[in-house]
Amino acid sequence: MWKKIAMMSSALLVVVACSNSSGSSPESFPEQAIEIIAPATPGGGWDMTARSIQRAMNADGSVDQDITVVNKPGGGGEVGWQYLNQQDGHFAAVNSSLLVTGNLLDQSDLTHEDFTPLAMLSTEWLAVATHRDAGFSDGTELMDQLREDPQSLTIGVSPSLGSGNHLAFVQAAVESGVDPTELQFLVYSSGGDIMNALLGGHIDVTSNSMSDLSEQYEVGEIDILAVTSPERLESFPDIPTWEEQGIDMVFPHWRGIMGPADMPEHEVEAWDEWLSNMVETDEWQTVLDNYDLEDFYMSSGETGQFFEEQQDFFAEIIEQAGLSP
Amino acid sequence: MDLSFVLDGLWTALQPINLLWLIIGAILGTIVGILPGLGPATGVAVLIPLTFGMEPVSALILMAAIYYGALFGGSRSSILINTPGDGSSIAATFDGYPMTKNGQAGQAMSIAAMASLIGGVMAIFGFIFLAIPLANFALNFGPAEYLFLFFFALSAVVALSIGNMVKGFITMFLGLGISTIGIDLQSGVHRHTFDIPHFTEGISFVVIIIGIYAIGEVLYNMFANKQPKDVDGSKIGQKWFTKEQWRRSIAPILRSGPIGFFLGVLPGSGGTISSLLAYSTEKQISKNKKQFGKGAVEGLVAPESANSSAAVGSLIPMLTMAIPGSATTAVMLGALVMIGITPGPLLFENSPDLVWTLINSMFIGNIILVIINIAMVGVLVKILKTPPKVLYPIVLILSFIGAYTLGYSTIDFYILIIAGVIGLFMRLLDYPIVPLILALIVGGEMEQNLRRALVIYDQPVDMLFASPITIVLALLTLLSFSYPLIIKLVKRASKNKDHTVDL
Amino acid sequence: MNAVRLSLPIFFIVVSLVLAILTLQLPHAQLGNPYGPMYFPLVVSIGLFLFSVIDLIKTRHYFGKENEDLKALLKKETLFTLGVILALCLLYTLIFERVGFLLSTVIFLAAIMFFLNGKKKWMLNIIVTLVVSGSSWYVFSYLLEISLP
Repeated sequence: MWKKIAMMSSALLVVVACSNSSGSSPESFPEQAIEIIAPATPGGGWDMTARSIQRAMNADGSVDQDITVVNKPGGGGEVGWQYLNQQDGHFAAVNSSLLVTGNLLDQSDLTHEDFTPLAMLSTEWLAVATHRDAGFSDGTELMDQLREDPQSLTIGVSPSLGSGNHLAFVQAAVESGVDPTELQFLVYSSGGDIMNALLGGHIDVTSNSMSDLSEQYEVGEIDILAVTSPERLESFPDIPTWEEQGIDMVFPHWRGIMGPADMPEHEVEAWDEWLSNMVETDEWQTVLDNYDLEDFYMSSGETGQFFEEQQDFFAEIIEQAGLSP
Repeated sequence: MDLSFVLDGLWTALQPINLLWLIIGAILGTIVGILPGLGPATGVAVLIPLTFGMEPVSALILMAAIYYGALFGGSRSSILINTPGDGSSIAATFDGYPMTKNGQAGQAMSIAAMASLIGGVMAIFGFIFLAIPLANFALNFGPAEYLFLFFFALSAVVALSIGNMVKGFITMFLGLGISTIGIDLQSGVHRHTFDIPHFTEGISFVVIIIGIYAIGEVLYNMFANKQPKDVDGSKIGQKWFTKEQWRRSIAPILRSGPIGFFLGVLPGSGGTISSLLAYSTEKQISKNKKQFGKGAVEGLVAPESANSSAAVGSLIPMLTMAIPGSATTAVMLGALVMIGITPGPLLFENSPDLVWTLINSMFIGNIILVIINIAMVGVLVKILKTPPKVLYPIVLILSFIGAYTLGYSTIDFYILIIAGVIGLFMRLLDYPIVPLILALIVGGEMEQNLRRALVIYDQPVDMLFASPITIVLALLTLLSFSYPLIIKLVKRASKNKDHTVDL
Repeated sequence: MNAVRLSLPIFFIVVSLVLAILTLQLPHAQLGNPYGPMYFPLVVSIGLFLFSVIDLIKTRHYFGKENEDLKALLKKETLFTLGVILALCLLYTLIFERVGFLLSTVIFLAAIMFFLNGKKKWMLNIIVTLVVSGSSWYVFSYLLEISLP
C-alpha cells in the first residue's frame, strides 16, 4: 500500500513539476524567492549549511529576491534531492559526498549526474584519534598493530558505514596493507556519541571530523594520530598528515550546493556570481571559523569535474571496504 | 567556585535585555510544550536564525529557557485533555487527567508547575556542585550499561501494568518491532522500509504518541455514549492546590528530582525515561498505591519534577563535553557553535562568566515559569469549557500540523491516522500504551548497543558482569519484574492471616 | 462484541508473522556478522507471537461480559461518525501538499465542524474554521518560520 501511495504521489508531483518548469528569461531571473533546500531536519549539519548560505547571501545582497530555507528531511538526503528535481532554477540544495556514495552503496538511485552542479563550498578534514592512554604515537604504529591483528581494536565511526569518516579510515588501512573488511567497526549515530564512547574507553579508535575532535584534543584527553588534509592545518600545526607518514591519501569531507537537472545556462551563471560573492563575505568566513571548516570554493564548471573525480575515487574505496553491492 | 563569578553572572542575567529574552524564551517554551508535536527541539531549531544577531550569552539563555519552559508547558495538555505532545509529558496523563475528571484541573496544573520548579531548582544545584564529576561518571556508560539501563526502564514500565502483564509485554514487543524499521546502523541494511526514503530514518515516536493519544482521544469521544456531555463548567475547581495536596506531594517531588537529574546527565536517556521511572518508583513505594491512576497527586508531581530536572541535567554533557544527550541539546550545540560559543571542557575554564550567567538565569527562569504557568491556569481551564465538538476538530488540526513539523511529509499523516485507530482499540481492550511508546523510544538504541556489546564482549554473559553498574541495573530489572509477583504473594499471605484486611 | 475483543490479539499475531517473514527476507550484512540485522527483529517477532497467543487464549474469559464502551462502538451512529471523521482525515492527508496548507485546512475544518455541529450553527462553524486556520497558519508559517506547503 505504501508503495502505491508513494507512486501515486510521485506521479502527481511529476505532473505538477512539468506544469511549472517553464524556463525563465535571462533578464528576469530570479523572478521569485530563492529557496535553499536543506535535505535534513532543522539543527543538523545540512540545515546549518543551508542557513549559513542564506545568511551570507543576504549579507552580500547580490540577489534582489527573498532567500528562504526549506527543510525536506529523509532517506539520507534523497527526499530533499528528489524534491529539488521537481523544481526550477530558483531552487538549490545542499549536498555532500553522500550524493556520490549513496548510489555506489546502492542506497539511492540518484547520482550527481541527475543535478546541475553549482558550487563546492567548504570542507572539513578527518582525523584518526585514540584515548590519551592508548599509547599510540602516530598513525603508522596504529596501522602496524592492525596489520598484525585486525580484530585487536574496535573502531568507532559515525553516522553510518560508507560515510566519509568510515571510508577515510578504510583508505588509510588499505594504503597501509591492512585488510579493511577484517576490521571491527562500531557504528554510532553521531560524533558526540563517539566521543562519549572513546572517553569512556568503550571503543579504542575513532575516525571523525576535526570539529568533533578538537575540543577534547585541546585539553589533552585524546591523541590525534593523523589528519587527511594535504598539509598540516593552520589551527593544529602539531597534528601530522597521513602524507607525512608515508600514506598517500588526501580525503576531504566536502559540502556543496547544486540545482535541479537541466538548468539553463544563464541561471547557472547567475548562481555562479551569487555564490562566488557569497563566499567572500565576512559572515561566511565566520561560519567557516566557528565550525572548523576550510574554504573549498569551486565554480560550477570546476565542481562538475570534481564530481567526476570523486565518483571514481569513491567507487574504488567502497569496493575495497567490501561494501559494493 | 569563585563567588565573584556567581555575582557577575547574576548581574549579567539581570540585565534588562537578558531578562527580556528569558521571558520570551519561557513563554515560547510553554507554548511549544503545550502544542502537540512541537517539542523543545523544534522550538530551539526554529529560533536559530533569530540567535544570529544576538549576544552569545543571550542566545544561550533564550535556548535554555525554551528547553525547560517546554517541560513546564508539556504537562498542560496532558492534564487538561489527555493528549501529551511529547514523550516526557506522557506520565502526566496517568494521574493528571484523572484529577481533571475529578474536577481538580486547576489544582493539578498549579501543583505540576510547582513540581517542575522544585525539580528544576534541585537540578540547578546539582549542576553547580556535580556537573564535572557526574559528566565523568556518565562516561562509564558503554554499550553493556546502556543495554541494561534500557532493560530496567522497560521492565519498570511493563510492571506498571500489574495484573495485565501479558498485554504489557505485547505492546512492548510491538514497540520494539516498530523501532526496527529504518536503516540498521551497524550494517547499513535497510529494514522494512518498503523502498520509501522517508522510512530510512525510522518512524518518529512523537508521531505515534500524537496519533495514539490525540487522535485516539478524539475518536474515543465521538462514541455514542459520550455525545452530549459538555463539560460542566463548575467542575473546574480551585486554581490553587490545597495544603493536604502539598503535604502529600513534597516527598515525591524531592525523591524524583535526583532521579530525573541523574538520568538527564546520561546521554540518550532523557525526559521520557526519567519521568516514567519516577512515576513507577513512586507508585511502588507509595502508601496510596491504590489511588494511582485515579488522580493521585503524587503520581502527577513525581514525573513533572523528574523531567524538569532531567532537562537541566542534560545540559551538563552538552556544555562540559560537547556531547549532546538529547535531540534538543543536539540542536542547541549546533546553534551555539554557529554563534561562536564552543561548548566543551574548556568552556568552564575560559568562560565561567557565561556558565554562571546561564545558571543564574535558570534560577530566575524557573521562577518566571512557575508564575507564568500558574497565571495561565485560569485561561487554560477555559479549554475545558469549550464545547467538545469545537475543541476536538482543533485538536485534530494541531495534531496534523505537529506531525508535519516533525518530518515535513504527509506520509506521517497516514501513520498518525493508523496509530489513532489502533490506539483507540488498545484503549477499549485495555492494552497499556506506555510500554509501546517507551519500547519505541529506546528500541533502536537498545538493539544497537546490544550489537556493539556483542562485538566488544566475547561471551554474552560478560556483558552482565561488565561493571558494577550493569550488575546493579540487572538486579533492579529482576526486582521490577518480580515485584508484581511479590505483591501477589504478600497479599495472599496477609489475606490468609487476617480476613479483615481487605486489599 | 467478541469479534472486537478478538481483533487485536489476532492483529498482533499477524503483525508478528509479517515481521518474521520480512526479517527472514532481509539481505545479509556485508561487513561483520551477516545475520546481525536479523537477530533482534526475529526475537521481537517471536516474543510478540507468543504473548499474543497467550492473550488470545485468555480473551475467552471476557466473552459474554458487558462493556459500555464496546457496546457504544458497535452502535450504528458511532461507526458512522468514526467513519466520516477518518475519511475526512484521509482526504486532508491526500490534499494537504497539493492544494497547500491554508486551503486544505479550511476545507477540512469546515467539513468536520459542519458534520459535528450541524447546519444550524453555521456562524460558529465558519468563525472557528477561519480563525483556527488563519491563526495556525500565521503562528507556524510566520512566527515559527516552519515551511508549510
